[in-house]
Amino acid sequence: MTLGKALYYFAREALLNLFRSWKTSLLAVTTIAVSLFIGGFFLMLAANASRLIEDWKSEAMVVVYFAPTTDLNEVDAARSLAGSPAWVEGVDEVTAPQARERFRASFPSVATLVEGWEEEPLPASLEVSFDPLLVEDHAFEAWLGELEELPEVELVDDDRDWVDQLELALQLVLGLGLALGAVLLGAAILTIASVIRLTAILYQDEIDVMRLVGATEFYLRGPFYVEGLWQGLLGGLVALGALFGGFVAVQPMAEGSLLLGTMGTTFLAWPQQVLLVGVGAVAGLLGAIFSLRREAI
Amino acid sequence: MISFFDVTKRFPGGQVALDRVSFEIGAGEFVFLTGPSGAGKTTLLSLILRQDLPTHGRILVNGRNVVSLPRTKIPFLRRSIGVVFQDFRLIPRKTVFENVTYLPRILGLGSEKQRTLGYETLRRVGLAHKANAFPLELSGGEQQRVAIARALVNDPAILVADEPTGNLDEDLSDEIFELFREIHLRGTTVIVATHDRDRIRRAGQRVLVLHGGRLVRDGDAPVENSELEPVLSRGENGG
Repeated sequence: MTLGKALYYFAREALLNLFRSWKTSLLAVTTIAVSLFIGGFFLMLAANASRLIEDWKSEAMVVVYFAPTTDLNEVDAARSLAGSPAWVEGVDEVTAPQARERFRASFPSVATLVEGWEEEPLPASLEVSFDPLLVEDHAFEAWLGELEELPEVELVDDDRDWVDQLELALQLVLGLGLALGAVLLGAAILTIASVIRLTAILYQDEIDVMRLVGATEFYLRGPFYVEGLWQGLLGGLVALGALFGGFVAVQPMAEGSLLLGTMGTTFLAWPQQVLLVGVGAVAGLLGAIFSLRREAI
Repeated sequence: MISFFDVTKRFPGGQVALDRVSFEIGAGEFVFLTGPSGAGKTTLLSLILRQDLPTHGRILVNGRNVVSLPRTKIPFLRRSIGVVFQDFRLIPRKTVFENVTYLPRILGLGSEKQRTLGYETLRRVGLAHKANAFPLELSGGEQQRVAIARALVNDPAILVADEPTGNLDEDLSDEIFELFREIHLRGTTVIVATHDRDRIRRAGQRVLVLHGGRLVRDGDAPVENSELEPVLSRGENGG
């Protein structure tokens, strides 16, 4: 028999097995779908959050805050130092009244916090935008240190600090998510292995007959391997469908929401979708191989 | 065609199923294998089919030493031997046609060839009209005829039957043995294990008699049942 005919025969027998033992097959497909859903969810979360962080990184600034009583007309040294490096794209001055107005506009619910003061409650500052690609870390740190040492400077805030921390936290969450997905995938492989083993035991009499009339191990095992593959493939497709459904449901709410924005702005890329379904199929096949590995069926 | 040389089969518990059995069966022979229950008939057939290995001795089937046959070659040996069981062993979820054409299918024959072979073989056993039925929809005799068709579909050189009429009444048994006779007339070597002494006598073919694992008689069928009695009755209640 040619390989093509053999594969057709395996696929047909495996599909029949799936339908005949649909309850156990459903269990296997569900476990693998759940594990891939979780893995895929974290993958999508990571992809969206990474993109968001990249955006933030590109918009990151260094803000030089002056002491409250400082007049911007008296900060030439700071202005000059802030604008000197090659990575600096621009230096914007924010006066104390402008800072107060920004706060009121950004946080209207707590706007009263900046009202009724005799002096301006917020300091003037310089907002230094820069090209992250041109930044050399050592020189950048030295530059920040020089700015901090200026007597009129109260605080130098580098946005990169919190973006880096956020990125680290994201990697941690992604790692935990993928670990959880891997553990569940392991459980799914074991479930598929058990289901395939049960099916093999269920049809042991038939297998014995097939063996006696001259079927090779390749023909006896092939349908079971393909059955595992089908289960994994179906699990992957179900997980992908559920992820897409969730994505479509969340998307309208994503705009303007930081939390949902990290999940619902971009769906998994094609290679990631193929990877998800492929991992399911391979997991199913591994389950089948694992179940029939130790003894003759 | 089939040769046993000093074959002994001892099971792990120490029970001796076959004890230094030697015989030869030529191409185209019809041989009955008989003896009381537990005499070793089924063990002998399982050794021919290489379901089991002897503890000692050499077995040749179709010129191949089955004892030293690699595992991967066993299916090819079995494709040259048709096998029929007392309990039919059909695959209930497959139709009669699918049961019969299982081997042609895994041999990769085209669907038209499978169809021709399947229907031809079913016609030989008189069941072409039941091709689309499922085994459990058939009578015992019909199921056994399907099993025989399955055994014959690849035109095997040898047909082995283990108590093929054990579950059938007298009339159905006659039909089955008539089929075996026709198969034999076409040149197939036929080996039938049976308790049916009347049938052995009537068939007038060669008989191998096993008792307690030993081959106690190898010759033409006895003219009268009484000639078998002394050999068979000794172990009749021995299991």
